[in-house]
Amino acid sequence: MALQVYTASLLKEGLVAYLCLENGRPSWTFDISQATAGHDEELDALKLAAERSEQDNIVVAPYAIEVLETDSGIMATTKREQIRASGPTITLPQDKIRESRRAA
Amino acid sequence: MDNYIKDRKIEADEWMPFTGLEDGSSLPSGDIYVPLEEWMQAREMLLARNGRLGVALRNTDDPGIIKDDLERLDLIVLEFPKMADGRAFSQARILRERYGFQGEIRATGDVLHDQLFYMQRCGINGYELRADQNPANSLKAFDEMTVTYQPAADEEFPIWRREPKSI
Amino acid sequence: MYQYSEQDHQLLLERVAQFRGQVERRVKGELSEEEFKHQRLRNGLYLQLHAYMLRVAIPYGLLSSDQMRTLAHIARKYDKGYGHFSTRQNIQYNWPKLEDVPDILDDLAKVEMHAIQTSGNCIRNTTSDPLAGVARDEIEDPRPYCELIRQWSTFHPEFNFLPRKFKIAVSGATQDRAAVAVHDIGLRLVRNDTGETGFEVHVGGGLGRTPMIGKVIRPFLPKQHMLTYLEAILRVYNMLGRRDNIYKARIKILVHETGEDNFREMVEAEWEKIKKGGLHLRDEDFEWIKKFFLDPEYEELSDRDGEFENLLLTNAEFARWVDKNIELHKQPGYRIVYLSLKTAHQPPGDVTADQMDAIADLADKYSLGQIRSTHRQNLVLSDVRLKDLPALWGELKALDLATPNYNHVTDIISCPGLDYCALATARSIPISQAITQRFDDYDFVNDLGDVSINISGCINACGHHHVANIGILGVNKKGVEVYQMTLGGSAREDAAIGKIIGPAFEADEIVDAVSDVLSVYLENREDPEETFLMTYRRLGDAPFKERLYG
Ligand code: SF4
Repeated sequence: MALQVYTASLLKEGLVAYLCLENGRPSWTFDISQATAGHDEELDALKLAAERSEQDNIVVAPYAIEVLETDSGIMATTKREQIRASGPTITLPQDKIRESRRAA
Repeated sequence: MDNYIKDRKIEADEWMPFTGLEDGSSLPSGDIYVPLEEWMQAREMLLARNGRLGVALRNTDDPGIIKDDLERLDLIVLEFPKMADGRAFSQARILRERYGFQGEIRATGDVLHDQLFYMQRCGINGYELRADQNPANSLKAFDEMTVTYQPAADEEFPIWRREPKSI
Repeated sequence: MYQYSEQDHQLLLERVAQFRGQVERRVKGELSEEEFKHQRLRNGLYLQLHAYMLRVAIPYGLLSSDQMRTLAHIARKYDKGYGHFSTRQNIQYNWPKLEDVPDILDDLAKVEMHAIQTSGNCIRNTTSDPLAGVARDEIEDPRPYCELIRQWSTFHPEFNFLPRKFKIAVSGATQDRAAVAVHDIGLRLVRNDTGETGFEVHVGGGLGRTPMIGKVIRPFLPKQHMLTYLEAILRVYNMLGRRDNIYKARIKILVHETGEDNFREMVEAEWEKIKKGGLHLRDEDFEWIKKFFLDPEYEELSDRDGEFENLLLTNAEFARWVDKNIELHKQPGYRIVYLSLKTAHQPPGDVTADQMDAIADLADKYSLGQIRSTHRQNLVLSDVRLKDLPALWGELKALDLATPNYNHVTDIISCPGLDYCALATARSIPISQAITQRFDDYDFVNDLGDVSINISGCINACGHHHVANIGILGVNKKGVEVYQMTLGGSAREDAAIGKIIGPAFEADEIVDAVSDVLSVYLENREDPEETFLMTYRRLGDAPFKERLYG
C-alpha cells in the first residue's frame, strides 16, 4: 500500500490539519510536511490515534490520504488534497488599505 | 432511567408495545399499542379487552386510514427512524388538526433534544427520547424558542393575525 | 423594507442563544458531529475544504446600508476581509471559526440578519427579482409576498426535515430575473382576464444531477391562497418525496415520477382541506405587509440631465458603462445601476470589506440607502438619480465596481469550486478568471452582446451551468480536472437546459473552446440583433461541434 498520512478538520477552527504521532503521542499540525506518514500496519496506529482525537472532539472526520515523499517533504498526490494542504490556488481578495486602516 | 416525556414532564411510561396477535388468548391486560396491520386485522378482539389501546403507524402510512377509529384510541405512536426523516411531522399535524385526535401522539426513534420544539408544535405530546439523551436537559428544548410564525397544532393563525404577545 | 417587530427580534436572539448552546454541547462532546451537522446546517454553517463556511441570508436579495456595513465588519473581524455573494442572493464567509459563529450571529441579529435555513433540508431563503419595486415591466412588487413566505417558512415545524433542500423564487415582472423555472417552486405574478393578480405556480424545477425545468401546475392561483397552496405542495412533498436516495430526493423527481397530473391532483386534494385555514390571506394581511414596501418619496425629476448627457458625449468610458450597466427605472429621472462584481482580479461575486463599506456609503449618498444582490452575483443600486450618475460612476470606478459587462460575456457566474468547496471535483474560479482575461476587450464584449457563461465545479451545479448559454462543468477524470461544455441553456422566461456538446476539455483548452464557440456565433449570426442563444437555436449544435471537434 502507498504511503499515507491522516488528515482531518480541527473541530473549533475548522482548519485542515495532519496527524503527527511521536512516541505514541498524537498532535495535529497545519503543515503536511510535518505529518507522520506510514505504510500498511504502521497505519493502524495512526488510524487509532486519529479516531481517538475525533472522539476527544479535537478533529472532525479524519481520513487517510496518499502522499509522496519529495525533496521538499511530504506531498499529497491528488489535486484536492494538494489544494487542501496549501490553500486556494487563486489570489484572495484583499483590501490594499486594510492594513493601514486597522493600524489607525 | 426513564427517558419518557409526556406533556413536558418526565414520566413513567405505562404503555406496552405489543405484537403477535395470532394467538388471541395471550392478549395482555393493561395499556397496549399494536402495529397498524394488527389493529386492522383484530380490531374487535382488541376492543373487547379492558385497558387502553394505541396504534403505531409507520411514517409511510396515511393517517386517514384510522380516522374513524380515533375515538376509540388513546395513543398514536409515530416513528422517526432517523433524525433527518421528517414524515411523521406531517402525520402528527393531520391527526391533530384535521381529525382532531385528542389522545397522546408519541414520537419514537431518533427523538432528540433539538427536535422537541418542532414536534410539540406539530401536536406531538409524548416523547420516547433516544437512550443517550438527557431528559432533564431536554425539557429546556420546549422553551428555547418562544416566537412562532406559522399556524400549526398549537396556533390557529400566523403571527400577523395574532394579538401581539407581550415580551 | 420590512422592519422587524419586537417578536422578530426576540426570535433571532433566541435562535442565537440556542445555537450558542448547540456549539457548546458539540465542543463538550454532548452532541455528535452527525447530529450537530443537522443543527449547524440549519444555521448556514458548512465544513468546507479549508475551514467552516457561513452562509448569511439576504432575504430576497434586499440589504440596507447598515446591514452592508455589518457584513463588512464581519468580514474584517471574523474572516479574511472579504465575502462572496452567491447565486441565491446570499453572502458566504469562507473562514469563520466555530466558536466565533454565535458572536457573528449576534452581530447580524443587531441589524435584523441571520443565517437561518440557509442550508439543510428545509425551506431556504426565498429569492426574487433584484429589480423588484423599480422595474418598468413589473406587474406587481413581489417583495411583500416574499416576506410572507419568509415568515411562513421560518422554523416551520412540519417542514424542517424535508427529503431535501427546498428553494422558492418569486418574480413579479414580465421578464424573469429570478430564474423561477429552475426552483423547487417558482411563483410568477400574472394578471388574469379580469385584471386580478395571482400566481402562475411552477413546481419541480432545479439543476444538479438531473436538471429540470419546472412544470406549471396551476396557471393562476389567486393570491389569497398563496400560503395554503405552498403548504399543500410542501406537505405532499414531505410525505411522499423519496428518502431512499439523496440524488432522487428533490421535488422535481417526485413530480417526474408521479407525473404532473397526478401530482397536481394530490396537491389540489390536500389544498381543498386546508385552503380556508389560518394561512388564508385576507385583504388586511396584504395591506399590512405592503406598507413595508411602499415606494420611497421620489423627487419629481426630468428624465433628461445636461451634465449627464454631456459626459455621455464626451467620455467614451462613461458611455460604455451607461450602455451596459444602467437600466431604466419606473420613475422618470431615476436609473437602476448594476455594480459589476466581475473583474479579472477578483473571483466572481467576491467583495472586500472596504468595498462593502464603500458600497454602503454610496447607497446612502445616491440610492436611498438600499442595495440588492442578484442571482448573477452582482449588486444593484436601485434608485439613483440620473444627474448623480457621473459622480457615482467616478466613485465606482475607483472601487473597481464599474466594469461595463452586465449580462455580457465576462459577467460570469462561478461557484467556489475546488478552491473552497469540499464537494468539488474541479476548480471553477481560475477558469472564470482565464476567460475574463482573454475577453478583456470592451469592443469584443460589446460586439458579442447578450451572452451568459456559468461555471460549476461539480455536478451539484451551484454555478447554474445548465442554464447558461455556454455552461462549463468541471469534472475529475482520472485525477485531472477537465471541463465539459453545454450550449443553449437559459434561465429566463424561455428557460432551457443546455445540451452537452461533446467530450470534455482540459483546463488549458477550455478558454480556446469558448473562444471557438463565440467565433462560430459571430460568423453565423444574421445580424448583431441576433443573440448567441437565438443563433444557437436557429442552427443547432452542428456548426459548434464541427468547429470544436471537427
Ligand atoms: S457546484 Fe459543486 S463545487 Fe461548486 S459550490 Fe456547488 S457543490 Fe461546490
